Amino acid sequence: MSALQKTLHPDEKIKAGKLGSSLSKIGVGIAVIFLGLSIILTLMGSPSGGHESKWARFFHAYVIGWSYIFSISVGMLWIVMLHHLVRGRWVTAVRRVCEAMAGAFPVIFIAGLGFVLPLVFGYKDLYYWAHPDAHNHELNHHLLHKLGWLSPNFFFVRYVIYGAAFSFLAWYFQKKSRQQDESGDPKISETLRIASAPAMILYSIVTCMAAFDILMSMAPKWYSTIYGVNFWGSACVGAFAALALILLGIQRTGRLTHSVNAEHFHDIGKWMFAFTFFWAYTAFSQFMLQWYGNMPEETHWYKYRMFGEWQWVSIAMIVGFWAFPFVFLLSRWTKRIMPSLVFFAVWQLVFHWLDLYWNVMPSYQWQVAFHDGARIVAGPLSGNTAFHHVAFSPVDVTVWLGLIGVFLIGLGRNLVGNLIPVKDPTLPLSLAHEVQ
Amino acid sequence: MSAATTEGHHEEAGKAREAFRTVTRDVSWVAEAPKPHKAWLAALGIALIMLGIGAVSIYVLVTTGIGVWGNSNTVGWAWDITNFVWWIGIGHAGTLISAVLYLTRQTWRVSINRAAEAMTIFAVMCALLFPLLHTGRPWFAWWMFPHPNDMGMWPQFRSPLMWDVFAVSTYATTSILFWYMGLVPDLATFRDRFAAKGDKLRAIIYGVLSLGWRGSARNWHRYERAYLILAGLATPLVFSVHSVVSFDFATSQLPGWHTTIFPPYFVAGAIFSGFAMVLTLMLPLRHLFNLKHIITESHIEAMCKIILATGMMVGLAYGTEFFIAWYSGNLFEKFAFINRAFGPFWWAYFAMIGCNVLIPQAFWLKSIRRSPVIIFILCIFVNIGMWFERFVIIATSLARSFLPSSWSYYTPTRWDVGLFVGTLGLFFTLFLLFFRYVPVIAMSEVKGAMPEAHAGGAHGPTPTVTAGGTK
Amino acid sequence: MATSTTDTTLDPHEPPIATGDGELYGILAEYDTPGELIEAARKVRDAGYSEFDCFSPFPVHGIDEAMGIKRTILPLIVFGGGFTGLVGGVFLQWWMNAYNWPWNISGKPSWSIPANVPIAFEATILFSVFAAFFGMWILNKLPQVWHPFFRSDRFARVTDDAFVLGIESRDRRFDAVATRKLLQDAGAIAVEDVYLEGDPARKTMPKWIVAFIVASTAFTLIPFAIAAKARNSHSNQPHVHLFPDMDFQPKFKSDTAMDLFADGRANRGDVPGTVARGQLKGDDEFYRGLAGGDGGGWITGFPKQLEISDATMKRGQNRYNIYCSACHGYDGRGNGVVPQRVAASGGAWQARNLVEAGGPTVLMPNGQLYNTISNGYNTMMGYAAQIPHADRWAIVLYVRALQRSQNASREDIPPDQQGSIR
Repeated sequence: MSALQKTLHPDEKIKAGKLGSSLSKIGVGIAVIFLGLSIILTLMGSPSGGHESKWARFFHAYVIGWSYIFSISVGMLWIVMLHHLVRGRWVTAVRRVCEAMAGAFPVIFIAGLGFVLPLVFGYKDLYYWAHPDAHNHELNHHLLHKLGWLSPNFFFVRYVIYGAAFSFLAWYFQKKSRQQDESGDPKISETLRIASAPAMILYSIVTCMAAFDILMSMAPKWYSTIYGVNFWGSACVGAFAALALILLGIQRTGRLTHSVNAEHFHDIGKWMFAFTFFWAYTAFSQFMLQWYGNMPEETHWYKYRMFGEWQWVSIAMIVGFWAFPFVFLLSRWTKRIMPSLVFFAVWQLVFHWLDLYWNVMPSYQWQVAFHDGARIVAGPLSGNTAFHHVAFSPVDVTVWLGLIGVFLIGLGRNLVGNLIPVKDPTLPLSLAHEVQ
Repeated sequence: MSAATTEGHHEEAGKAREAFRTVTRDVSWVAEAPKPHKAWLAALGIALIMLGIGAVSIYVLVTTGIGVWGNSNTVGWAWDITNFVWWIGIGHAGTLISAVLYLTRQTWRVSINRAAEAMTIFAVMCALLFPLLHTGRPWFAWWMFPHPNDMGMWPQFRSPLMWDVFAVSTYATTSILFWYMGLVPDLATFRDRFAAKGDKLRAIIYGVLSLGWRGSARNWHRYERAYLILAGLATPLVFSVHSVVSFDFATSQLPGWHTTIFPPYFVAGAIFSGFAMVLTLMLPLRHLFNLKHIITESHIEAMCKIILATGMMVGLAYGTEFFIAWYSGNLFEKFAFINRAFGPFWWAYFAMIGCNVLIPQAFWLKSIRRSPVIIFILCIFVNIGMWFERFVIIATSLARSFLPSSWSYYTPTRWDVGLFVGTLGLFFTLFLLFFRYVPVIAMSEVKGAMPEAHAGGAHGPTPTVTAGGTK
Repeated sequence: MATSTTDTTLDPHEPPIATGDGELYGILAEYDTPGELIEAARKVRDAGYSEFDCFSPFPVHGIDEAMGIKRTILPLIVFGGGFTGLVGGVFLQWWMNAYNWPWNISGKPSWSIPANVPIAFEATILFSVFAAFFGMWILNKLPQVWHPFFRSDRFARVTDDAFVLGIESRDRRFDAVATRKLLQDAGAIAVEDVYLEGDPARKTMPKWIVAFIVASTAFTLIPFAIAAKARNSHSNQPHVHLFPDMDFQPKFKSDTAMDLFADGRANRGDVPGTVARGQLKGDDEFYRGLAGGDGGGWITGFPKQLEISDATMKRGQNRYNIYCSACHGYDGRGNGVVPQRVAASGGAWQARNLVEAGGPTVLMPNGQLYNTISNGYNTMMGYAAQIPHADRWAIVLYVRALQRSQNASREDIPPDQQGSIR
């Protein structure tokens, strides 16, 4: 390990210049095109999966796409805070980009209102707990006690709290870091280090609760204590993959070409690899314990993922999100040769989306019963898995791409000024960073 | 660099060499001192007495039967498994320090990794005693390993207890190999020092153990690769071991045991207790053997912070469990958690919360992180708290499970206590022997992490940031 | 030996060093700092040497590149080890639990992949660790307890604070003078020659070490030898009770001697003059097959407690097939599996034919038949301990039916079924 130092290369372009605004414009374009396309597709379509509203698929896809961009910012906020907490070195050179990605939170928060506000205004075909039939005592006697917690209004309140907490943390760490660019005061590093400890606690609680509320409650009768940790692991895979791609994209514009080198990408690749493993570890723990315990109140969730059409998606997840990238990322060179790293970053970003899809979409299909001529919705399908379908829709992808556009808007807004924390005292170490 | 070295340069190099020699000398004197330290002898005496108590307890247990323990039909697992999990957990800090902190380049680990790894091995040995003795006929333990036999039977691999056998034995093997590999260069140092002193016997013993290590660059190259790979292997291993231990509980359907957060939550708890034990051991020894300049205050502070962080993780897991117990709507689950906090074992529950969540909060204060005596006391509380955590999980859930007619209360017998005291004695005995006869600090790694290690040549200026971070 | 040393120490404070008196093995040069060692290594490599090495108390960063050390193949070895562990771990569990000895555990499939993951994982890690650890040994040629450089006292300081470069004389570019100069010019603070041992007797390993290795190898083989012997021989002796395993229990078996009681027997009979509840057995007909009253012989009918019914007949058949057929055969002709096995092993023994027309059993009164079942006859043991009274009577009933069926005439068949007999 080398503790040597380097100074910023004299020819290095570190100013964002117009990068941010053009990225935002690209983001607006992508968002308008794909979200518009999604709306058109939805209007042309018809209701499916036992839903009365044709918008149900759109909103389910929206939750997936939103969770996707949310998770990338969640992961990036974590690496920024961890870097301060442990006095990290190598991250410094890329930290401003991490901060910018985490700083997309306010925009993501506003985008999320796209599915939260309809709930508040009575949209009932997204979360079953928001459906009036959820209060049916005969069907849902073990759901009733939590319908106060899972009620649209309280959900909205929590959503605002989560959004405010994340936005504040992202804003605070970015603001202080930029202040250091101006003043060069080494005390700011110390302030951030101290602040990162309580921030981490807030962050952990909010991440877990957000995962419980937004994703786990899709199947409101199901529960798993590890769910938040599992979501976080997947989020970090996506976040590091996205970081690699965004950094390479920035380098294509001629910026940061000297400061960020194969050593940094190697470490980003290592983290992506580590979280691939961590995700697999938590996902396996969750699955194995529920499979082994074999209690109906838990296994119904896996039943619809292990059998029927969804089993193929599950197998694709094991192979694609874990086994294949795991074996190849073990090697040093797959992380140091850029085309290979790009391939695996794109690969993991796609599978991270599939992970969220796999978590949400099996709950899309609802069970409808008729009782004395009245239509009663019994929530996510239960019964024969042969009637359970993947029912892939183009909207699933277009909404996702549209929301990636939203993320780029949020990111572009933050790519201003210096792209590197020029006066951070650990920058010389980060620039000279070498992986063993 | 030519032969025409300047006087100033030579002087600087001499100082650097002096610094390396100081490390060697300050670490070696513990083993080289002709007579052991009085405090060391006293501690060894106490440890041996405790070990004796353990030996008697084992004798009584084996010759009489498991009935001498407080276990009953209702609480079939009690102190034995509590102690097993507790010891295994303590072991985890060693691997964490030697592997995970190595991979994440936390150079401060070098001053304590050797002792922490030794602690791991001894803790795993203590841990293994409990399931072994709980089988009732420990001499049949080899039946757990797959081997062709007259009965035509094979082990049952779908059982979490079988996973434990494999996980813990793999962990013990890996820890020993990892520890030994780290020791080889330092044993070579001992070999050369004892040879220079003319102590032929010890020179031969250390010589054989050091495999003829010469510090060759070609050897170092492969050695470093192997070390990195072992660190990379030990990291998922350390996660898997305590996860598998948690599977023993979580694969069952018992309320309070069957919950998916158990694997990471057990791992966090293990690291938490392990670091507390590292500090419990190292604080007095560092004081007694004048190692304060090698195990510095900032190293201790870093460990305090890890204790604080993992304590918070454990606290978060307690909270999550409670929340989901309510959220699930599972009445048994809900009862189990209310019973845990307000049932007959409430005192254990609040001891756990107090020691694991509340007491470590003191580490927010820098002044506390800098006062060894307070840290020592707090760490003992953490160890007690983590013992209670396992006891709470095991005993409360078993004592009040599905069938109220079999509910009971658990009280340990003197043999439960005796065996536990005995493992403490075994642990301290081994650790004290280690401290006296084995290089207690990874000298080669400390030297490699010193600023002088990069001195000279065309490698630029001497860096300002040293091992252990800036002050 | 000091005379044979060529010491070119630049530092006058360093004492001359003895390094053997044989041929020149190589030259050692000490450098001041790790950085200078790197520079020297680069020069030596650039000069075309290949049989050289650097020695330092810790791994010097950057020296691999300077010396031109290729990246080790160790990761590949470890990958191979890990793969072996994975495949082995999976195969082990499949073969043992799903193929060789499938066994239902809580309804889980015998080939339960989720439950096999932990052990497959641990096996992968274990084999990888072995590959890494022993692979490092092998690639580094360890253990190598002796090396000529160890002769140098300066070299002993490598494990403390010295940075040393050594060139071996077998290098094709080696030239005692030129090489020495090269090392000196690279900034060495001391240069020293190392000679091999001159005395041929000292080149061999001391005898006591050889003896120790042979003895310890032999000693470790003893358990294997014992195991091999045990597997390939038979013994009539009881096994060694290393652990008691409840083989010896503080209890007395029935009909054994015991000093505690006056009669010296372990058995305790009933207290004289008492009868346990339900044990009076006063009904001679039912319990003993004897006609009541004074000296009455065997009864020929059945006791009144026995209900003659289809159910009793079935019960009797069931009990007969369990207890009697082994010798007497299912058909009662005395040709059960036991006589068959006797015949197969070359003996000649036939159980009594129960159904032989006019034979002793057919003529036997019911009471005597019952008594035979209870108390035995000739070599036949009594079955009183195994078969309750009512079941014995059911067997008697069935045997009577068997006798009749085995000696039946056409008239015995119900008229409506006679047509089916050809």
